[in-house]
Amino acid sequence: MAGHVPMQHAKTTVKLNHSSLKEPKVVQWLLTFIALAFLALFLVLPLITIFMTAFQKGLETYLAAITNPDALAAIKLTLIVVLITVPLNAVFGVVAAWLITKFDFKGKNILITLIDLPFAVSPVIAGLVFILLFGAQGLFGEWLFNQDIKIVFAIPGIILATLFVTLPFVAKELIPLMQAQGSAEEEASLTLGASGFKTFFLVTLPNIKWGLLYGIILCNARAIGEFGAVSVVSGHIRGMTNTMPLHIEILYNEYQFAAAFAVASLMSVLAIFTLTLKNIIEWKAKHI
Amino acid sequence: MSVLQRQKKKKSILPGFGLSLGFTMFYASILVLFPLAMIFLNTASMGWSDFIKTVTDARVVASYKLSFGAAFAAGIINVIFGTIIAWVLVRYHFPGKRFIDGLVDLPFALPTAVAGIALTTLYVPKGWIGQLFTFKIAFTPIGIIIALTFIGLPFVVRMVQPVLQNFNAEIEEASASLGASRMQTFKKVIFPELVPAILTGFSLSFARALGEYGSVVFIAGNMPMKTEITPLIIMTKLEQYDYAGATAIASVMLVVSFFLLLLINIIQWWTNRKFVHS
Amino acid sequence: MSIHIKHVSKNFGDFKALDSINIDIQTGELVALLGPSGSGKTSLLRIIAGLEHLDQGAILFDGKEITHVNPKERNVGFVFQHYALFRHMTVFDNIAYGLKVRHKKTRPSKTAITKKVTELLQLVKLEPLANRYPSQLSGGQRQRVALARALAVEPKVLLLDEPFGALDAKVRKDLRRWLRKLHNNFHITSIFVTHDQEEALDVADRIVVMNNGKIEQIGSPEEVYDYPNSPFVYDFLGNVNLFKGRIHKGRLKQGSFEMAVPEFSGRNEEAAVGYVRPHDIHLEKLKTSADAVSATVSHIHVIGPIVQIELKREDAEEFLEAELSKEHYKVLSLQVGDQVYVKPKQLKVFIPEDYSI
Repeated sequence: MAGHVPMQHAKTTVKLNHSSLKEPKVVQWLLTFIALAFLALFLVLPLITIFMTAFQKGLETYLAAITNPDALAAIKLTLIVVLITVPLNAVFGVVAAWLITKFDFKGKNILITLIDLPFAVSPVIAGLVFILLFGAQGLFGEWLFNQDIKIVFAIPGIILATLFVTLPFVAKELIPLMQAQGSAEEEASLTLGASGFKTFFLVTLPNIKWGLLYGIILCNARAIGEFGAVSVVSGHIRGMTNTMPLHIEILYNEYQFAAAFAVASLMSVLAIFTLTLKNIIEWKAKHI
Repeated sequence: MSVLQRQKKKKSILPGFGLSLGFTMFYASILVLFPLAMIFLNTASMGWSDFIKTVTDARVVASYKLSFGAAFAAGIINVIFGTIIAWVLVRYHFPGKRFIDGLVDLPFALPTAVAGIALTTLYVPKGWIGQLFTFKIAFTPIGIIIALTFIGLPFVVRMVQPVLQNFNAEIEEASASLGASRMQTFKKVIFPELVPAILTGFSLSFARALGEYGSVVFIAGNMPMKTEITPLIIMTKLEQYDYAGATAIASVMLVVSFFLLLLINIIQWWTNRKFVHS
Repeated sequence: MSIHIKHVSKNFGDFKALDSINIDIQTGELVALLGPSGSGKTSLLRIIAGLEHLDQGAILFDGKEITHVNPKERNVGFVFQHYALFRHMTVFDNIAYGLKVRHKKTRPSKTAITKKVTELLQLVKLEPLANRYPSQLSGGQRQRVALARALAVEPKVLLLDEPFGALDAKVRKDLRRWLRKLHNNFHITSIFVTHDQEEALDVADRIVVMNNGKIEQIGSPEEVYDYPNSPFVYDFLGNVNLFKGRIHKGRLKQGSFEMAVPEFSGRNEEAAVGYVRPHDIHLEKLKTSADAVSATVSHIHVIGPIVQIELKREDAEEFLEAELSKEHYKVLSLQVGDQVYVKPKQLKVFIPEDYSI
């Protein structure tokens, strides 16, 4: 379960009424102040910085930065990566969760650990492993060269690295959910004459839809924002193998701060949107 | 018709076992198992003495110390403040609480590179916060700790929150009715229940911080022996085409990661055993 | 449809859940599988449904072996202990499910489905709740939906797993009667699992008493209650008083208690236990029979129409429990501390050694 925090269920706020059950008012104020100050310092301030620096050279510079051809190419590439990796890992998550929660078999724990691994591994290593497999000196390097197929320093490599890093999200969300729901409804469906597929689509899927959506949103956020792994495999070829985070890095290293933050602001808006969706889903799932 | 038959063991009643097993094993193997195995395979072909030389090089060891130390410090900070934040969010009421609660997940949603450049801009000597201090924050280990704190912030909060939310208020009432002061109730009754969640949150934060790259590499300064984290060394070696060196150091990091993963699972297993409430 | 269960065994690892079970069920019978937790009854039911595999043996429906047929093809109606209603579907859709998922060729038209579902809703008296969701229903209502859903596919066999276990006592009683009436009208071969002997005795045509994966006795409710063939069955089917003594010259002796047991006249000096139901204990204030035992009233529990009297025997450190109707109790006008004379009207003797494993 490393690196994964599942959807929060059943939020019941603790109600303590008697004064001897609460801290002195002073302590309450102090704790609240500390908490809010910490959050302001670590979360709010950086967000403000992003937007202020993005616009520090004016609206025109901002718009120029995000409509710049390299920037647009980066946005397009990020979108392509997301559109391929998220559905794939969503399907994997659903199938793996079905396998793990409905059946018993030898090696189940090994599989669960395997799914956990990408969370525990540094992103740089995630990129490195694909270089070792498909790079020029890699295991398949020569074969790929002869077939004139490019994986590392090209889009396929970026997709593979992103697939690795985002693999666990949907699975880790669905497994505890499906475990808690049990298999009685599926068994009932079978006795009523439904096939396996019908059972899955008519009974299981509607029951897990919020957990699935939640996992997809987390997976999506990570796929968009992945930096370390993609940095290793991409080759940083401007206009071709730069995702948005890599593009930001290039701009920043060239001291084009306003432009870098302009693109960063786009990603921040996406992040805030992700957070909003996440909260909506948690709320909806609670009120079913 | 034979009535007494030895049945052939079929796997299960619910359908799809073969298909899902095949697909899952295939997918997980080519994306996770096989690639990670490459690290160890390559390291094995390196030769023991070369391996030891690479992973114990002074610069590399300095990076271990830095990565570990900074991740640990960030973890401790997150434990202290994360617990306070969780407490405040669950127990107190103030305007905008729901919004703040949602914001806690920002480090999960925000790309690491974006966080990295934002934090750097804040803490450089000319930055809003950097200018308040006489000593340098960005490009020092302090800056690294700050970035890692950001990255690990949600872990402790999100682990402790559910425990507090499901906390049985009657236990607190019982403690108070028996004459305990608020501090005593907290120390002896409430806090012990939070320990497993805090431990798990710390471990998750620590594990994440160890391997973190994107948010650190901008604020760190990346000076060898001083502000170079281990993932960066791997990256540098890759850029120099020293694949063997990169792989060797990566294998060390992997072993530590596995160990941490094991530790986290043990803590959670222990938690479930000790604190299973019906 | 008749069901034949032949030499069925099932293991869970080292644990033997079912040990060579043989049962023949006639078409249209309502059979109860009765036993304590762990007796294997639910495992057997699930094996009949095809929800579990058996390790040895065979199941036949109407003489045809269906041991390897998957649950989808068996055409059984299964009612789960906790209903297993599809939580995101309305009552109507739940009941219609079995009909909707049929292959295009055998699927009824939409109007036909609506008609059938409405009929069933009327049958279970849940018509006004057709558009509610399971979470909005009470336990008893959910159970009726589960039954209607199982009946919608017109199964040849109806299997019920502790169908009333999770319900209040009154609801349980009502549903029990209702199930019996339903069965009288539709005559579907039905098997239900329960650990409540009162339920089994009330509803079933025949009872299969199970313990530790084995069958203890099969018989009609009267047979198993009045003529239990083992201590377990006797004890499980109702309350019991024990007279632990020895057989001597064709009589069971314990302390000053003695009673003729002609069926054991051949066995001498063996330890034996006499079993008597509380309502078979005859109480009187005067000693009218030589082998009545003297006892003192230690407790009186008036429970509705029945009075339970706890008695302490004078000749042995043992307690007996007698059950009287309220009228009889009033006639005797008993009080705590009174001395009474006690004699079993009927006694069933078992020799423990015959039943030890």
